[in-house]
Amino acid sequence: MAIAAFITKRLIQGVFTVWFIATATFFAMHNVPGDPLLNERAMTEAIRANVEAKYGLDKPLGTQYLIYLSNLTRGDFGISFTQENRQVNDIIREHFPVSAILGVLAVLFAAVGGILWGALTALYRNRIPDYLIMFFVILGISVPSFVIAALGQLVIVNMNSALGITLFPVAGWGTLGHMLVPSMVLGLGTMAYLTRLMRSSMLEIVSSDYVRTAKAKGLPPARIFAKHQLRNAILPVITVLGPAIAAITTGGFVVELVFAIPGLGRYFVQAVQQLDYTVIMGTTVFYGAFLVFMVIFVDVLYGLIDPRVRMS
Amino acid sequence: MPNGHAYDFSPLRRTEISQSQSRPSLSYWQDAWIRLKANTRALISLYLLIGLLIFTLFGPLLWNIDPAAQDLDQISRPPGEDRRALIVPEYSPWTGSASDLEVGSGQGLRLIGEATTQSIRLGWDPTDTVTGYRVYRNIYPIGQERAYGIPRAEFFDSRIVNFEDRLDLKEGIYYFTVVPMKGKEQLLDLTETLAVEVKRVTTVREANQKGLIGLTEELGVGDFIDLAFHPLGTDYLGRDMLARLMAGARVSLFIGIGAPLFFVTFGILFGATAGFLGGKTDQVMMRFADFIVALPFLLFMILFKIAFGIGPGESGIGPMLVALVVLMWPATARLVRGQILQIREQGYISASQLLGGKTLYLILRHMLPNTLGVVLVTLTFAIPSAIFTEAFLSFIGMGVAPPTPSWGSMSNEGIKTMLTTPHELIFPAVLISVTVLAFNLLGDGLRDALDARMRNQE
Amino acid sequence: MTPLLKVTNLAVEFSTYGGIVCAVRGVDFELEAGKTLAIVGESGCGKSVTVQSMMGLTPMPPGRLVSGSARLRGEEILGQRRVQGKEVRGAEIGMIFQDPMTSLNPTMTIGDQIAEPLQVHRGFSRREAFTEAVKLLELTKIPEAQKRAKQYPFEFSGGMLQRAMIAMAIACKPSILIADEPTTALDVTIQAQILDLLQDIQQEIGMAIILITHDLGVVARVADEVAVMYAGKVVEFGKVDDIFYRSAHPYTVGLRAAMPVNDPSRNHVLSPIEGSPPDLFSPPAGCGYCSRCPEAMEICATEAPPTKALNRGHTSSCWLQQDGAPHPESLFFNEERL
Repeated sequence: MAIAAFITKRLIQGVFTVWFIATATFFAMHNVPGDPLLNERAMTEAIRANVEAKYGLDKPLGTQYLIYLSNLTRGDFGISFTQENRQVNDIIREHFPVSAILGVLAVLFAAVGGILWGALTALYRNRIPDYLIMFFVILGISVPSFVIAALGQLVIVNMNSALGITLFPVAGWGTLGHMLVPSMVLGLGTMAYLTRLMRSSMLEIVSSDYVRTAKAKGLPPARIFAKHQLRNAILPVITVLGPAIAAITTGGFVVELVFAIPGLGRYFVQAVQQLDYTVIMGTTVFYGAFLVFMVIFVDVLYGLIDPRVRMS
Repeated sequence: MPNGHAYDFSPLRRTEISQSQSRPSLSYWQDAWIRLKANTRALISLYLLIGLLIFTLFGPLLWNIDPAAQDLDQISRPPGEDRRALIVPEYSPWTGSASDLEVGSGQGLRLIGEATTQSIRLGWDPTDTVTGYRVYRNIYPIGQERAYGIPRAEFFDSRIVNFEDRLDLKEGIYYFTVVPMKGKEQLLDLTETLAVEVKRVTTVREANQKGLIGLTEELGVGDFIDLAFHPLGTDYLGRDMLARLMAGARVSLFIGIGAPLFFVTFGILFGATAGFLGGKTDQVMMRFADFIVALPFLLFMILFKIAFGIGPGESGIGPMLVALVVLMWPATARLVRGQILQIREQGYISASQLLGGKTLYLILRHMLPNTLGVVLVTLTFAIPSAIFTEAFLSFIGMGVAPPTPSWGSMSNEGIKTMLTTPHELIFPAVLISVTVLAFNLLGDGLRDALDARMRNQE
Repeated sequence: MTPLLKVTNLAVEFSTYGGIVCAVRGVDFELEAGKTLAIVGESGCGKSVTVQSMMGLTPMPPGRLVSGSARLRGEEILGQRRVQGKEVRGAEIGMIFQDPMTSLNPTMTIGDQIAEPLQVHRGFSRREAFTEAVKLLELTKIPEAQKRAKQYPFEFSGGMLQRAMIAMAIACKPSILIADEPTTALDVTIQAQILDLLQDIQQEIGMAIILITHDLGVVARVADEVAVMYAGKVVEFGKVDDIFYRSAHPYTVGLRAAMPVNDPSRNHVLSPIEGSPPDLFSPPAGCGYCSRCPEAMEICATEAPPTKALNRGHTSSCWLQQDGAPHPESLFFNEERL
């Protein structure tokens, strides 16, 4: 019961947040200095009127906003400004799956790696493996994603030329080989962050009272690790999975750009650079809704795992 | 006496020593400082950051070069390369007349005269069956895949068999390819490629314009002259890397340190107010903070940037600062509120109240100082994330507007030429990484030194 | 006859950022089957470290076992996981801790946690162990045990959690139960119930109890024998009557005088022990209590006092007990002298 009410409440909050994002996006786009149609060639009065009518720009702002909202609720994001006759929906449908595959692989890589390395460092606290892993973690946290992406590309180029064969393609999309390096690059920063979190969470639990109790019960170390340490240590990692997904989604912008991956992120950045208003609005609202509901999903997941949250 | 010992059973004469404690007691901050000093990594980071600040603030006084000035003789030059240039006569136009070309001598594609950064002159033998020629230029050797590089010229007359290239020449090796054309068809078997080694040259007039020749010096054609000195090389527009890095540091650190200072201050005020007032006000205030947290951060940064579009001549630093502050304060506010709520329940607050402490006094004397440690740690960790945000936005072209340099925008420019001139990416990227690393390590050290809970664990 | 447990010359130190702390500096005591031994002393005197290092619960490093032995029925248990085919921890010796709120795994049901030692040491199936866990909860007088066993620690009160802890510690019928300040974190009303429960269970399964406490009231109530610890050493050991009525160490006398007496007619004045315990980063050469002792002598500051047997099972480490030393009035404290 409690959990259903919790989910409902979070969903209502989420819808409200998405509405705010949509509204903010709409007014931000209409606040852009300059005339969006000024760049168009051969803009006679008649053509201008036609174009304005096509995008609904001839109506007052309030009406435009209402039309925009009602279109949104029907899942219609409008037509691209720069690529006429292309629906924003089609753009999202075509490019988002690519970003999603990349993102899911990166999240998996980051979460599994983070938990594994974090647990390892805690078990080998203040010994060589700990120092070694933490050295890379601190590097992973401190090096910006685009540098990691560039380095990743450099490594592929050098490896390919050293081996004389194309082990991994340098850029593009299609095969698993295309996906592997970019998703690792994308997940690396988050993995470093999760490793750190997992380590401190494990260390706290290793010295916790209930692990001492488990030892006093005479349980074998493997059982203590699996039943008492790991499960409790993963909980804080799950709480930050929402922000981690957000970080990987936006980090995807850069990785897609560097590796020339035809994902929505790259498309979004291009749209922003070309001021393709409808595409910006559509993708922003889409990304916003995606992230907001991912965070809610993770929260609910956490609630299902942690009995303390589940019950209260 | 048992055991044959003579024990002294007289009453003990109490001395100061027997009562004194062996260790002096330390205040919270003294103890924290001692712990921080014991943490080598944090200490090195601290010194590194101080050094970086000095580099940023006082560097330009020593290396007083305009970061926007272009040195067109030295474009994308890595540091430490030979910067001598030969002085040659002024450029004089070339007609490419038949006598110059020795047409018909059958030597194929060949270099006429010397290849210099002033001009490269090419000639080749006419082929009767063709309708024209295309000339390509590449900086890489032509491989199996026949990548000829950029097309430089196309002639629709088989009798035109010369080409002069003056476009953007740098010293090094160029690979020119001439492809004979028949209509629209490229005759690949008749294609010729020539590797040309280009020498760097300059003229007396140019050298004088750039102030490279001293007043007393007498230099003429045939002499060598040193071009302007760039300790860290130049970028793709010939701008001095060191000067740009220092200017970029000012932008990156201004945003990286300025924004966190602002939003942490705002967060403290907001959180402390909410925590202290409690009740309905607290709930409404924290709802608002939760709402801001739920917004996708980078998307809103980008929206902000688009909405407050940057006009010509503006750097875009202001809007970015505002956006960071508007979106990043809630974390601090939540933290401070939690601390205040905890502290409010402590005995010493009640004690102070009983002694007649006013609200403002309680907040200033007891509550804020006790949250200071946590806030300091938050601030140290907020700085790298702000630097990252700036770098990320600048990298995707949504940050500070060119020509204003920032480490992020410099990386963005540098990544395009990563394979040929890696220094343009490496320097800003290393600076970002080292700065963020130092702040992270310092933050770790501060947290370990200040966190009372960690202390008890040892 | 060998005692059930005999600890000799146990010494443990910790390396911390401030230096090496000699937390336990040569502790001896004995425990007989079915009896209750109380270890008393103020905070930081090494009570918990003594039993925890005996159980191998002290993290090493930073801890280090300097010397000593602990023999269970004559077999060494220090550094051993098993003795005579039985697991020491959980099977031979059960243990409960000070703060039941944090001593149980927050994400595991109470029943599962109690069932764990049965599964591990007795080879019970999950179902059998859980049924047994419910019985144990009933034994520790938890109402609706069947339902409670499926709940999580955060749904229990402190007193209930301590009962569950006891149920868990006695699951495998250990021969010794170590209770490390079991009532300190609980309400006074609950304290008495927990102590009664411990005694009831002791009667039922005939185990010995080592009770660590700083509360002399608790000691008087349940202990058969008492070890008084100060600055990492046992300064006096004896039957509970020896300790209370024939105190042979000025520290015991001091503790006794600092204890409230529930008798308004006696006009009792609480007299605290002035000063604080010595810094164990650099343990004193002489008696640790020297700087606070009202009877201190020159010898106390320079040489550690030897342990002297006074009468059956009563020992004291104090120079005042040596031949030729003055014999102050206050020693051999008893009620009548107040």
